[in-house]
Amino acid sequence: MLLDRPPTTRREFLRRAARQGLGGAALLAAAASGGGCGVGRQKAAVRDERDAQGRRILNFWNGFTGPDGKTMEKIVRRFREENPDLDVRMQIIPWGTYYDKLTLSLAFGGAPHVCIVHAARLPEFAAYDALNDLGGLYAAEAAGGRGFSEADFAPVPWRATFYKGRQYALPLDVHPICLYYNRKLFREAGIDGPPATGEAFLEAAKALTRDTDRDGKTDQWGFVYTWQRTNFLTFAAQFGGGIVTPDLQHAALSSPGSLAAAHTMLDLITRHRVAPRPEGVDAWLAFRQGKVGMALEGIYMQTSLEEQKGLEWAAAPAPQFGPQQGVWGGSHLLAQPRGIPDDAARDAWRLMRYLSDQSLAWAAGGQVPARRDALNNAAFSQLAAPAQAARQLDYVVYEPMTPRGNALFPFADPAIEAFLIGRETPEEAFADADRRMEQVLKRP
Amino acid sequence: MSSSRNALRRADRIGWLFALPHLVLFAVFLLAPVGYGFYLSLHRWHVLAQDHPFVGFANYRAALADDIFWLALRNTLLFVVIAVPFGNAVSLLLALGLNGLRKASTPYKVAVYLPVVVSISVVAVLWRWLYNREVGLLNLTAKGFVDALRSLGLPLAPFDPIPWLADPSLVMLSIALMTIWWTAGGNMILYLAGLGNIPEDYYEAARIDGATNAQRFWHVTWPLLRPTTLFCLVISVLGSFQIFGQSYVLFAPGSGPARSGLTLALYMYQQGFSQYEIGYGAAIAYLLFALVLGLTVVQFRLFNAERRAREGRAI
Amino acid sequence: MSTTRYRPQARRRRFDPGQAFLHGVMALAALLFLAPLGWMLSTSLKSPEDVIAGLGAMRWLPNPLTTENYRYILSKVEEFPVWRWTANSVLVALSVTALVLVVDTLAAFAYARLRWRGRDALFGLLVATMLVPGQALLIPSYLIVRALGWFDTYLALIVPAGASAFGVFLLRQFFSNIPAELEEAAVLDGCGPLQVLRHVILPLAKPALAALGIFTFMATWNAFEGPLLYTDSLAMRTLPIGIAVFQGRYNTEYGPMMAAATLAAVPVVIAFLLFQRHIIKGIALTGLAGR
Repeated sequence: MLLDRPPTTRREFLRRAARQGLGGAALLAAAASGGGCGVGRQKAAVRDERDAQGRRILNFWNGFTGPDGKTMEKIVRRFREENPDLDVRMQIIPWGTYYDKLTLSLAFGGAPHVCIVHAARLPEFAAYDALNDLGGLYAAEAAGGRGFSEADFAPVPWRATFYKGRQYALPLDVHPICLYYNRKLFREAGIDGPPATGEAFLEAAKALTRDTDRDGKTDQWGFVYTWQRTNFLTFAAQFGGGIVTPDLQHAALSSPGSLAAAHTMLDLITRHRVAPRPEGVDAWLAFRQGKVGMALEGIYMQTSLEEQKGLEWAAAPAPQFGPQQGVWGGSHLLAQPRGIPDDAARDAWRLMRYLSDQSLAWAAGGQVPARRDALNNAAFSQLAAPAQAARQLDYVVYEPMTPRGNALFPFADPAIEAFLIGRETPEEAFADADRRMEQVLKRP
Repeated sequence: MSSSRNALRRADRIGWLFALPHLVLFAVFLLAPVGYGFYLSLHRWHVLAQDHPFVGFANYRAALADDIFWLALRNTLLFVVIAVPFGNAVSLLLALGLNGLRKASTPYKVAVYLPVVVSISVVAVLWRWLYNREVGLLNLTAKGFVDALRSLGLPLAPFDPIPWLADPSLVMLSIALMTIWWTAGGNMILYLAGLGNIPEDYYEAARIDGATNAQRFWHVTWPLLRPTTLFCLVISVLGSFQIFGQSYVLFAPGSGPARSGLTLALYMYQQGFSQYEIGYGAAIAYLLFALVLGLTVVQFRLFNAERRAREGRAI
Repeated sequence: MSTTRYRPQARRRRFDPGQAFLHGVMALAALLFLAPLGWMLSTSLKSPEDVIAGLGAMRWLPNPLTTENYRYILSKVEEFPVWRWTANSVLVALSVTALVLVVDTLAAFAYARLRWRGRDALFGLLVATMLVPGQALLIPSYLIVRALGWFDTYLALIVPAGASAFGVFLLRQFFSNIPAELEEAAVLDGCGPLQVLRHVILPLAKPALAALGIFTFMATWNAFEGPLLYTDSLAMRTLPIGIAVFQGRYNTEYGPMMAAATLAAVPVVIAFLLFQRHIIKGIALTGLAGR
């Protein structure tokens, strides 16, 4: 019998255990487990290893699983050819699990020498002192006459590399949202060009929304919501709202700006009926299939459109729906883990610097470079979509730049979805999310 | 006197020596985690933080004030309440059926047991496909059935595809159904073994008394099967409370529409390894532990009370 | 322990409508349990168009029959090293089974047949921990595996699995039931404890050892949470984890997914069909002992 007759009572067991030195065994176990409090970051996060030819191995992690990964691989291959003393090993980890792996490797060892960190994720790593302060490397570069300064980069990504006055990264690119539109559908609806204002957008969307087979159901939509988070952040930025207050201390989904943004978004579905509810629709696929006139998506999505045969598309800056300019964007930053040995850090910097110098090649894969010299290069203006996206560079807004940002989206994302699919009103959904996010922000 | 003590010491040494290999593993990978987990749960322990301040029971208080914790608990309980009784009923019925067959029961046994040997990933990948709203086997079959009835002239509405995994109120039911399919064979074997252990004399006596099949079941089989039933129930409850892989493979990382597939074990995992709040995750783990322990004790109490009542009546 | 099964009516008849009915019901149940696996196999052999649309989607027998899905996933060796995962699973399951059998046999012998101070208290502790839900220990176990430097190694997949008290408990039940006279005779012949274990206990406990071995092998083969946490690289994944990670990236390509699932299921299904008699007996035995 499993439990009916325990062989001994608990008290008797404890007494006997104490007498017979079971405490010793437990202690032994605790010691083996690192003494309870010893399992922290004690070893260097980075292993310094050499390959069979004695070259330093440089591990480089990123999440570029698509065509951008192929672009990056090409650049890295060239670096390898030009730097035969280093063995660069690039590992692509899908973004879905990338940060889990990166964080755990930073905490427990096995971290790469160079990693991509999104701008909005930097504060968390920096706050926990998990990244290498690059101040010294920037200074050494300046002493060698090849220094970087603020003037070399677009200001938004440059600022994102700092946390509390220290610089932890080298900015690679910016990938803002932009307006993708179907040129063929625009032509058929008699619309001249991409709308720049909310009114023009609505007018175009109305003209594009059609029941082509006259069965009483709309089968061509003016607009669709694809990634709801970035769409909302774009609207919110234009109405002066956001997920958190500008001081990053409080939740702000219930602020007037956020609610105005939400209602503007909702009106496109319910009042103007130019966008479907985002429920059960593969929205981006619909745009690719030519069944949708417009979508707001990141510039990195252009590669998936280039693959689509027969689709006539173009990109433009996002229209201005609210009283001010603003678009969601992200940035890939290049960083190093804390605890990397100095000489390895210098070698890692060589790779980072090289990737930055190759900004133009990188931009071709659907990115806006952070480097000004690349932005101003004539070859960049030949890249139709990225050049359009770059026009928004000065007013790009990242996800909340707080160490708690990652912990907020589990609450913000469902709230945005809830009001868009009509399960709750924006007021209800946001009040609930704010309450929970406030708890997260208040945590010590 | 002293020689017998020496003999005793030697016996002690030998005893410990034999037990030691297992004890070391047991201490490091079972006892230590139990204690260490509790220790972690009393600290604010972000994986990246350099220091991990002691916070007492703050993580537990936070969990009890966290409505997602309660949602995960609710989902888990819902799963237990569906999967345990129905799963055991299915297993018992199958076992009774097999037990009643005079020959050639093996092919059925093998067929029902087959899903048990397949891993949870395969099960979840497969069932996500079966549950597909448009072209999943379940909806296709149901539609074919409804259409057939309609063509016979029955006044039925056209079949509306069931959103097995898209409707939050159906998600746990769907997971439970999948899990019953996966695990029914295991308990069936245990019930079958339990049935085989019931001495034939009892049935013989019942037959002489002219008992019907139903009477035989309720007066002989059911009471004599109780140890098996108890064992199966305890094992099922223990296992069901820990449900993890199903939701992980079907829905990870968000765990389904409106978090309807989020279970306690998965929430603990998310907190520990996606939010990196090790201490908070450990506190959730301990709450899960306490819950399972409490429930198991209650189950045994109930069964013992019931047995005493029955035995009292018999005397 | 009586194992004769109750047979409702011992008289033999040519045709028994009750039995026929029961056969019908059981056959239907068996079909219901087999259908999902059959559908998996069927889908995996369909052409991409037939998988998701039209009449083809409803057919049980694929027409045309194609191995395209299998070729597709097997060509993705870098993302889907299924043979490596299978080899990992086999290696890990065999190692854990061997470890558990050796370690638990020694321990069970100590608890069942030897007298030593601390024995009963320790055994009580072992039994008590059988109620600890494994998931509750995931976080601390992960940290311990990391601290030992075993992360993403076979050691992490094998050694912690030896900590369970279940096998010790199971074997102790069997060892305890072996008559003391046999052991005493062996001791009189000058056997030490190890010889007693080898020459007296083990030969008599073969069914229990087989049962524990089968149980352990299957539990390890299907283990999910531990291997998910303790490994990281594609090359160290076991089959269940590999499939789970792979499906995260191909979750709408049902044809290839079903092919992958079939590949993952086939070895274990074949093994089960070959050894089903022993496996079912073994599982029944572990259940009886546990009770």
